[in-house]
Amino acid sequence: MTLKIVLRNLLAHPLRNFLTSGAVFFAVFLLSFLQAVVSTLDAGVRSASTQRLWVQSAVSLFVDLPLAYESKIATVEGVEWACKWQWFGGIYKEESNFFAQFGVDPETFRKSYPEIIVDDEHYKNFEGNRTGCLVGKDIALKYGFRVGDTVPIIGRIFPRPDGSPWEFKVEGIYESKTAVVDQGTLYFHFDYLKEAIESGDTDGEIGVGVYLAKVRDGADPGQVQSAINAMFENGPQRVNATTEAEFGRQFVSMLGNIPLLLRSIGGAVLVAIFFAVLNTMLTIGQERTRDVGIMKAIGFQDGAVFRLMIIESLVLSLSGGLVALGVAKLLEPGMRMALTQQFPGFAMSTNTLLVGLAIAAGIGVLAGLLPGMRIRNLTPLQGLRGQD
Amino acid sequence: MALVPLNYTVRSLFTRRSTTILTICSMGATVAVLAGVLALQQGFATMFVEHGRTDLVVLLRPGATSEGESAFPRDRSDILIKSSPEIALGSDGQPLASAEVYLAVRRFKVDGGETNVPIRGVQPKTFEIHGDDLQIVDGRNFQPGTDEVIVGQSLVGRIRNCQTDATIMLNTTPFKVVGVFKSKGSFRSEIWGDADRMLSALNRRSFSRLIAVLKDPSKVEAFSERLENDKQVPAKLQTEKAYLESQTLALSITFFFLGSLLAVIMGIAAVFTGTNAMLSALTARMGEIGILMSVGYRPFAIFLAFQLEAIVIGLAGGLLGCLLVLPLNGIQTGTTNFATFTEVAFAFQTTPLVLAVAIGFSIFLGLFGGGIPAIRAARMKPTEALRRV
Amino acid sequence: MPHLIDLKNVSRTYQRGGESLEVLQQLDLEMEGGSFYALMGPSGSGKTTLLNLIGGLDQPDSGQVVVDGEDLATMTSKELAQWRADKVGFVFQGFNLLPVLTALENVALPLQLTPLSKTQRRDQARHALDLVGLGDRENHRPRELSGGQEQRVAIARAIAMDPTVVLADEPTGDLDRGSAEQVLVLLERLNKEMGKTILMVTHDPLAAEHAREIVHLDKGRLGRRDANGNVPVGGNAGEDAPS
Repeated sequence: MTLKIVLRNLLAHPLRNFLTSGAVFFAVFLLSFLQAVVSTLDAGVRSASTQRLWVQSAVSLFVDLPLAYESKIATVEGVEWACKWQWFGGIYKEESNFFAQFGVDPETFRKSYPEIIVDDEHYKNFEGNRTGCLVGKDIALKYGFRVGDTVPIIGRIFPRPDGSPWEFKVEGIYESKTAVVDQGTLYFHFDYLKEAIESGDTDGEIGVGVYLAKVRDGADPGQVQSAINAMFENGPQRVNATTEAEFGRQFVSMLGNIPLLLRSIGGAVLVAIFFAVLNTMLTIGQERTRDVGIMKAIGFQDGAVFRLMIIESLVLSLSGGLVALGVAKLLEPGMRMALTQQFPGFAMSTNTLLVGLAIAAGIGVLAGLLPGMRIRNLTPLQGLRGQD
Repeated sequence: MALVPLNYTVRSLFTRRSTTILTICSMGATVAVLAGVLALQQGFATMFVEHGRTDLVVLLRPGATSEGESAFPRDRSDILIKSSPEIALGSDGQPLASAEVYLAVRRFKVDGGETNVPIRGVQPKTFEIHGDDLQIVDGRNFQPGTDEVIVGQSLVGRIRNCQTDATIMLNTTPFKVVGVFKSKGSFRSEIWGDADRMLSALNRRSFSRLIAVLKDPSKVEAFSERLENDKQVPAKLQTEKAYLESQTLALSITFFFLGSLLAVIMGIAAVFTGTNAMLSALTARMGEIGILMSVGYRPFAIFLAFQLEAIVIGLAGGLLGCLLVLPLNGIQTGTTNFATFTEVAFAFQTTPLVLAVAIGFSIFLGLFGGGIPAIRAARMKPTEALRRV
Repeated sequence: MPHLIDLKNVSRTYQRGGESLEVLQQLDLEMEGGSFYALMGPSGSGKTTLLNLIGGLDQPDSGQVVVDGEDLATMTSKELAQWRADKVGFVFQGFNLLPVLTALENVALPLQLTPLSKTQRRDQARHALDLVGLGDRENHRPRELSGGQEQRVAIARAIAMDPTVVLADEPTGDLDRGSAEQVLVLLERLNKEMGKTILMVTHDPLAAEHAREIVHLDKGRLGRRDANGNVPVGGNAGEDAPS
């Protein structure tokens, strides 16, 4: 009966309640979007593996390490293998189509990431084809790449003298079950790039952006880290070996205050919407004065009518909130595709949805408190007479 | 046609205080968010775009979109400088052109975390080119040919070791910080030193870019075309202003996108809230409307009265929002420009434009929010209104 | 046999605009179960206050209000609420039905406070609605009913719980002559055929004619006159007026 009363009361003022619910809808939608962005940024750090170390130049992200380092790193105690990663930095057709491309060692690449899912046959083809590449599911979807297609990438760091694009044949499409590897990257053979530089087919210098050092099971990552750093203390290029988590955090911290900004916006949105819902609930509370008087005269307890108000507030808030979460989840694939450039791996995780739900419910309960308490404290006679 | 007296509107607002106040607060928060993002964008725009010169050109390797990925070998830069009559001459009769080395290096922030700070190796002519746009505010300038550097003002207190008499490490070479400089534009987030010493410390061979002052700024198109097609020393040429715009384009677009998204979403929510407030005003004042109508006020006058009330509420919300956002003015913030992967530091700027947009938006919200209720009020029949009392 | 309703030395004062109004002053009153009382008096005589005290909607400043053996003056508001649910049925001048509920649901409202099952509640409500002759209107909302019909639904609600006493405050105040008559006849029937104890506040002498006994209040003090207009010796317990 309580729910019946609540629902019918809400439907009795359709426009006003729809507007309030609608305001909550927009607020929760926005908030869950912001929360998803923030959590996407953290996701990579959270799912990092302790068994993978990243070795980069201590000087700059933009300075490559010598090729000779590969064998040296492999000799460090506790290192199982070193995989080369070179940032290619090209564009697909035009400036706005930007996604990451890396030249890697195919034999050690897949071994380093058991979380990557790709057809074995396809991967074998990738390994066998010097000019082949592996593309992530998200960019395959966005640009319509299929196995067998040729992807032209215009080199910017490694341009062809005549400005023509590099051509990579798609040998496989990969999916990633971890946030550390997004599905928006193109991986090709490092050696292909190396040979092109050696033969003068492209400008640029041979170097390796980062080495991925796989830590042997049982070895202490911290010790391996220190050993690698010490090995190159005196140059020619000092290195900074970091855990995968640290590496990820590095990029997040580059965003500086953006996460704070997003959270502040979220906070302000919450405040704005809370006032809006409170406004409606106060009006509803006033309207309900006589009904409450009747119910209390009949014998309903103070607590019962208080609950009625809270439930009404909750239904009002959750009706908008739940729809917003539903829409946000529905739009997730679309948004991920649109954001592969800025926020690859954008995800509306269950956690984010739960946060959104908690917010909507929280607003509902809080907005109902003030009118609820007033209603609770009304004597039957006050209610019947319609005054406080 | 007689208009409903103003003091009726004003007093009505005060009668239902709690509703009015809550609505104003809600709108205020909305406007504050929008104004805040706009202030951020303004700070960003002021920082970069407005400080590009049109008489100064930037030369990169053909195909490069930023100096970070451009390589300008020493011999090429010498030839280019000597063989370009378009370049103005300095007081010593030499071309006003300078080669620079650019690299974004990893530095630790004072409050923890890392970021990428631009290092710029310059030649002495650079200072002549920038003139008063760049001034030493602490310590002194570095000596050419030595392992000394000066740091931009924005870095002091934010990045470790960025102050006079500190020492920074570049790869394996220590450099002494001998001064702090201030500059219009983005240079204030950079560390400057001698170009050749930088190349040596960083193990590099090529410069990153050339800058040069034009004799005749209007001829920049011709100059650009000539260099594009030059067989010996091809180069990509843009004015400094155009270059800076291109660097910040992506981030600007992001801000614009974010701002627009927020405006639309929160705007709708705010309109909903405003409509609600006016609807409840309508319900509560049913009797008064009936009386006003039976006394002889026309529906349109009632409509206007309600709209006016809504606009006043919107305006009050807008003013509150502006008040909330003003303290942000001047607060430094920073993020990474993902086009250049370097840290950009800028401050919120609550310019008159920001405030104007905020107020305009809030009036618009009031107008829109008050629309439906105002129409309803005007459409009421007097008898119907009076009966509902 | 103890009286169903027994007020001893009851006083009630209200604060209004800085002044104290002594609405009831040291009142003694007894009422018997199974009777139909009309409580009459001029405006401000305290009859509604008296009704509210007996119904547990208000508590006296001093004195005892004993209904069916329990003193309401000592109960907490929580206990009073439960007591009202169990023992009292109210009928108000303004009908006071919940606009969003149907007639049947309104009647069933007080039954929510019982441990009855959903089916049992519905059947009991239906039964009460049939009793007042509105069984065919059970799915109508209050706005679809006439004033008289609304009041009859309110009466059905009042008796749905089989209360110890039915308290009616100016039940015909908002009704036209014809509907008023219908309602009064119904109340009389409930009293005569089903033995319900009814206490009705009214200022209408014609309405009072349907009652068995008339109690007069004037300035918070009691006067008593039976239906024949005889004035017995005031305030004494145990003297039943001839019906």
